[in-house]
Amino acid sequence: MKLKYRLLPIGGIDGAMPLNWVFIDRKDIANAALTEYEAVKVIAEEFKDSAAAVDILDTDCVSVSSDGIMNPIAVTAIASVDHGMINNTYGYMPLSPIPEYEGIYEDEPHMRQWHLPQFKGKELHKGPNAKDRGGERLSHNETMTLTGRIANNNCGSEAFDLVNMTEILIFMSAANEIMRDGEVIVKVAGPEVSVGIGMVVSERWGRIFGGTNLGGYKAGMSAHNSGVYAKTVKSDYPAVAAPKEKFMALMLDALDTGLIVGRHLGSSPALLMTAYYYGAPIDLEHISDRAWIELESIGITKELLSKPVKPYTREEMIAHAEEIIPGMKDAKRYKVSEIVEIREAEVKRETIA
Amino acid sequence: MKCMHTKLPDLLAKIQAAGKKLRPETKVTINGLENIKTAKFASLRLGRLEEEIIEITEDPEITEVVVEAVPFDPEIIYTSVAKGYTADGRCKIAILDDMAGSIPTVEHHLIDAEVVDDRRSAGHKQTQF
Repeated sequence: MKLKYRLLPIGGIDGAMPLNWVFIDRKDIANAALTEYEAVKVIAEEFKDSAAAVDILDTDCVSVSSDGIMNPIAVTAIASVDHGMINNTYGYMPLSPIPEYEGIYEDEPHMRQWHLPQFKGKELHKGPNAKDRGGERLSHNETMTLTGRIANNNCGSEAFDLVNMTEILIFMSAANEIMRDGEVIVKVAGPEVSVGIGMVVSERWGRIFGGTNLGGYKAGMSAHNSGVYAKTVKSDYPAVAAPKEKFMALMLDALDTGLIVGRHLGSSPALLMTAYYYGAPIDLEHISDRAWIELESIGITKELLSKPVKPYTREEMIAHAEEIIPGMKDAKRYKVSEIVEIREAEVKRETIA
Repeated sequence: MKCMHTKLPDLLAKIQAAGKKLRPETKVTINGLENIKTAKFASLRLGRLEEEIIEITEDPEITEVVVEAVPFDPEIIYTSVAKGYTADGRCKIAILDDMAGSIPTVEHHLIDAEVVDDRRSAGHKQTQF
């Protein structure tokens, strides 16, 4: 029996990859008659002389980006492996399905995207529940796995090498491209992305903020809450994203449901500028003063977003996605087949015993 | 006996002494406790470590013992205390905040080990070999 997996190898993407990152399709795990944890053990065996971050993904599930945009893919487990080892307490974390609980659309209005035809009825995975985190772990503010030098953070969208102290971001939209053999763009994240990833929505069992309560940060607020420093937080690290026209289509779908940026959706630079040029409402007054400091530090002001503009059509928005979505300008574009190695690991009985 | 705890300087001295007990020329290095200035350590646990170090040095090929003290929780959380002092030594203000980090887990220290013998208590066994 063999287990198929995708690898973004260390040194890959023209040297941008600071570590090995493995992506496994849940269907390939089922085809190899393995559990998700057993699949991670097989991958650990593959990396007997090195280390890797591991994401297990399902393209038939849905998840939500930190600013509240639903994506047609979900990470269902994360792991870190180092020289064949998996830390028992911190090395593996399943991300269980989240039920459609009573009151979800009032408490988490961005979840109305779940009613869109392309997402309806699909299993939702975001962050871990208490059981997923495990009883031995102490409370911490990040959802990560750790083994040896590898930390796989924010439910599989950001990984570090804790010895070399390097880091890379792979957004969910990019993981979607990787699993569907599409295309990605790659560049240093820069100030706009740094500010954007802090502009979260309030949610239960979120990928960034977990737990049963809705958390202290609501749409229109910054979870970074760090003023002019927010734009620097990831500004030196490489980021892998979906081509902007694909990312744009997801945002337009969300705006077409009537969701309002700053009130229902996070006030990220990408969503603010998309809503502005699309003529969709933005709740400028609901965006907190602290969030405005961060947005103004990258040139997005209340005055700018209040200027009259002739709205673009959906087609025009997608055609102009490169100029409209701030940050990662003129990023290098790759076919996934150019940067991802598709491999097969031998499943040995003694590995999974 | 459970109340017995060893002072930090005594712990460091006992680890050194254990490493050099069979052969005084054995080099002994202790990593991971550098920024702890004062502490009390469980004496029975220290006794186990001393015996383990002696056991390691019973192998005549061993010339150096390295003891790595690795935090059980790799998601370290500190409280930062930023203090401002005047020229005459008065602390005029202390501002508290949170400082969170992630450090390599214990596996990082096992990569070059030919044999790993895990004697930790059941609740502290973390590594999947």
